[in-house]
Amino acid sequence: MPKLVVKNLRKMFGTFEALKDVSFQVEEKETLCLLGPSGCGKTTILRIIAGLEVPTSGEVFLDGVLVNDLPPQRRQIGLVFQDYAIFPHLSVFENIAYGLRVRKMSEAELVKKVRETASLVDVESILDLPSKKLGLSEMQRVAVGRSLALDPKLLLLDEPLSNIDAKARERMRTELGKLQKEIGIATVYVTHDQLEAMTLADRIAVMRNGLIEQIGTASEIYDNARTLFVANFIGSPPMNLMDCEVVYDGNRVILKSGDLALDVTEFAETVRGKGEGEELVLGIRPEDLSLDVQKTNPSAIEAKVQLVEPIGARSIYHLRIGGLTVLAKGYAMPDVNVGSNLWATFNKDKVHLFDKKTEEAVV
Amino acid sequence: MVGLRLVKVSKRAGKRQILKNVSLEIPDKELFVIAGPPGAGRTTLLKIIAGLIAPDEGEVYIGDQMVNTVPPGDRDVGMVFETPPVYPNRTGFQNIAFPLEIRKINDSEIKEQVEEVAEFLQITHLLDRKPATYSGGELQRVALARALVRKPRILLLDEPLKNLDAKIRERTRVELKRLQREFGITMVFSTHDQLEATAVGDRIAVMNEGVIEQIGGPEVVYSSPRTLFVARFIGSPTMNVTECALKQMGDRWILDASGFNVDVTARAHEIESQAMGQELLLGVRPEDIVLLSSPENTGCFEAQVELTQNFGDERVVTIRVGEVSLNCLTGKDRVFAYDEKVYVKFKQEKARVFNRETGIAVARTAG
Amino acid sequence: MVTKALTETVRYLLIVVVSIWTLAPVAWMVSLSFKGPAEWYAPNLIPLQPIFDNYISLFIPTNPIGGSYFFTSITEPITKPLINSLIAAGLGTLFAVLVGFLAAYGVSRYRAGGTFIIFFTLLTRMLPGATFVAPLMVFYASIRFIDTYAGLILLYAAVTLTYAIWLMKGFIDEIPPEWEEAALLEGASPWTVLRKITIPLTKGGLAASALFIFILNWSEFLFALVISVTEVTTLPVQISKYVSAVGRMYGTMASLGLVATIPSLVLGYLIQKHLVTGFTFGRIR
Repeated sequence: MPKLVVKNLRKMFGTFEALKDVSFQVEEKETLCLLGPSGCGKTTILRIIAGLEVPTSGEVFLDGVLVNDLPPQRRQIGLVFQDYAIFPHLSVFENIAYGLRVRKMSEAELVKKVRETASLVDVESILDLPSKKLGLSEMQRVAVGRSLALDPKLLLLDEPLSNIDAKARERMRTELGKLQKEIGIATVYVTHDQLEAMTLADRIAVMRNGLIEQIGTASEIYDNARTLFVANFIGSPPMNLMDCEVVYDGNRVILKSGDLALDVTEFAETVRGKGEGEELVLGIRPEDLSLDVQKTNPSAIEAKVQLVEPIGARSIYHLRIGGLTVLAKGYAMPDVNVGSNLWATFNKDKVHLFDKKTEEAVV
Repeated sequence: MVGLRLVKVSKRAGKRQILKNVSLEIPDKELFVIAGPPGAGRTTLLKIIAGLIAPDEGEVYIGDQMVNTVPPGDRDVGMVFETPPVYPNRTGFQNIAFPLEIRKINDSEIKEQVEEVAEFLQITHLLDRKPATYSGGELQRVALARALVRKPRILLLDEPLKNLDAKIRERTRVELKRLQREFGITMVFSTHDQLEATAVGDRIAVMNEGVIEQIGGPEVVYSSPRTLFVARFIGSPTMNVTECALKQMGDRWILDASGFNVDVTARAHEIESQAMGQELLLGVRPEDIVLLSSPENTGCFEAQVELTQNFGDERVVTIRVGEVSLNCLTGKDRVFAYDEKVYVKFKQEKARVFNRETGIAVARTAG
Repeated sequence: MVTKALTETVRYLLIVVVSIWTLAPVAWMVSLSFKGPAEWYAPNLIPLQPIFDNYISLFIPTNPIGGSYFFTSITEPITKPLINSLIAAGLGTLFAVLVGFLAAYGVSRYRAGGTFIIFFTLLTRMLPGATFVAPLMVFYASIRFIDTYAGLILLYAAVTLTYAIWLMKGFIDEIPPEWEEAALLEGASPWTVLRKITIPLTKGGLAASALFIFILNWSEFLFALVISVTEVTTLPVQISKYVSAVGRMYGTMASLGLVATIPSLVLGYLIQKHLVTGFTFGRIR
């Protein structure tokens, strides 16, 4: 049975419809991420699940039980805030013990429980340290530990990695990932950073304006984006999107966009009938464009380099192809500079086609 | 020709030494990035250039002029601060016009210049509105407009992309670079994000704890890091570093780390001479490790998968080789399962060696 | 749902109760001020025979209302004490706010006085006033400050200065120093920065602080009693004179009490616009 079921949630703040109709499920041991830009409603959902907000309509089930009317402290849910909210004047031990003390647990039991939890999140060695002296990753673990001590059914995290600098974020991401694997509790967390979502979640729910546009695993969402918004939001650098139309020239099927013409005859069946004559959008991810200094591939198209952004072993090339600006991600080519000419090959397997708004046709 | 030069600048605050003997030279029209972790002293450095803080030692030159005694208002430097200086009680127009107002420029000229900058940055629609309604990106632009309206010869940016959403950050990064090129202005950009640093900068100064560890173009700091810190700071995922010892096996020289080794016969001479009997560290970037399902005849080591992270177009697989965990960057086609047994191969020529004590690189390779 | 409706009604009930509790004495005062001596002890809120004599006698102390008049020492109208209070409290507040603002700015931006300066200055307010009334009197007597405007104003300013600094430092801290640094970089002098940036942005806070300090000074009793003899009697001191051994002039006390609150009310009303901007000072995102 799924651990958490959210059904048709709707939330109004005055006249503002923060959530329109949200439904999803989280299984035991599964980590679900609510991903979306600021203001899409993801934090509101988290707060409703925690019991800090009341939905205008809709239901929340925990372990099959309706919990809409239960106050937050009775829901057995752990919540970790964006800035961890550790009590600075207490030691690590006391922080984890806090909830247990509130519940008036016996001292002997309490100590045992705190030690157990501490070993789970790997803070045993610093149990007696005052919280002021903790480093970021330790604080994160203590915050998680504090929620876990109460044996919650569900763990909620609000933008766990947003306030940290880039390098530390990398480290914490790996740690959080390992922690999740070890603890194995159903988790829902919220973020606006698509990389965070992809690396930490089993499934991702991409949200916009109070609605979930797509739910799936990271690979599903990345490779088979169902809407324009999802395709654009996931992936860094973002997917190239160009208006185009389908043109039938004898036996050949061509996608035309500006001066760009892409022969997709081999995919004729998949393309046929989809949005003929309608406005379509062609999508291709920067990494699905192969770049070469010479025209080795017959179907390669000429491209002029406008800007180069080196990022380690790779570089992002801003290319001008047929009147459009296209981004490509490839290996760093040291002699390629602004003004150079390159030949770009579109990986046709990876071309996405979207109706001007909504769905896609080709993978 | 207006460049920027800092000669042996130091700054202390109480007992802490914030900047230690910092020297750098920035030619005119360059986009120079100062990259480093929080606390490295970047903001202090920028403020010293601006004249808001006076250095304890050292000189600052703008162009050929030493400006240590020149007050900030006369240095012709524009700065965009981390918290964008946009006043909530004034409209966008009034905010941008502020620097011109102080200089008592007449109204019609102010109007002209403000509108020119606003149009360039595409914020004309914000001129009549008050900042309370602005998004993060818009605030940033208004602050930028304000810094640019005076047409300063040097522009300083202190973590300009920090408060923006991930998506907007990418776009703005490109725009800033374009702006710098079009305006031809000397720009000094401070960030903690190494990706931003290499993507944007013509040259990068990697700073740590008040000291500049290396200055160079993006390719240089990536392929030939001078110190351990630079090697680990630049590049994502971070370079894997383990202890190792130089050993001779027959006619081959290897760097032996617990669980695997790397052949360095080609470089043995340099390494040996520079690191005689010293403790060494081996650094291998995740992208220089190859994962295979079945072993090849030479140079493969057995390993176990600990964790996989999906990066969209790539995967980061954490493996355990012997007693060490290594991060490896792989393509998305092959899916690795938790606890799966794999084989690793290293791109030997990309491995870097560091002196354990000093952190300085030993024997830099050519490519 | 039932529980929700119940909590709502309880909440409103509570608000009504607290409101009545707070406003009842004021309502009673209003009622008293229009009552003649016959009704002073009567329980009715609305006077059966409303009179204005209580107010008139404040300004023209004529015939006794209540008969026990000559046992009190009221021989003059309250105009002088009223004006004295306005001068003392007004100027005292003005100086406290002005000096306090500059001091607060120094503490906030330049760490003037070290890290604990605020703590130490607040410490001085921990002592009850009564402890240094005597030495103060002696000191004032020696420099001939007794019963002078200067003496009172100086004292009020000095005493409330601490609060002024403490309050305003908080408001100044709200403004990111970088906003001022940006202006410095553009060529503004520190005074221009204060004038064009800091003060406009902290207007609300300044207004709130000024009001708070004004009320403190306006209602100050102990020092005024000790320092004033005849010339600088303030309103609170004057009110106390309506209490005599024989009886209390409730009517005039009530009317005087109400009159005494008017300046504070007026001031509050005038700056309320700034108070609102002060407290809703929006943070960027």
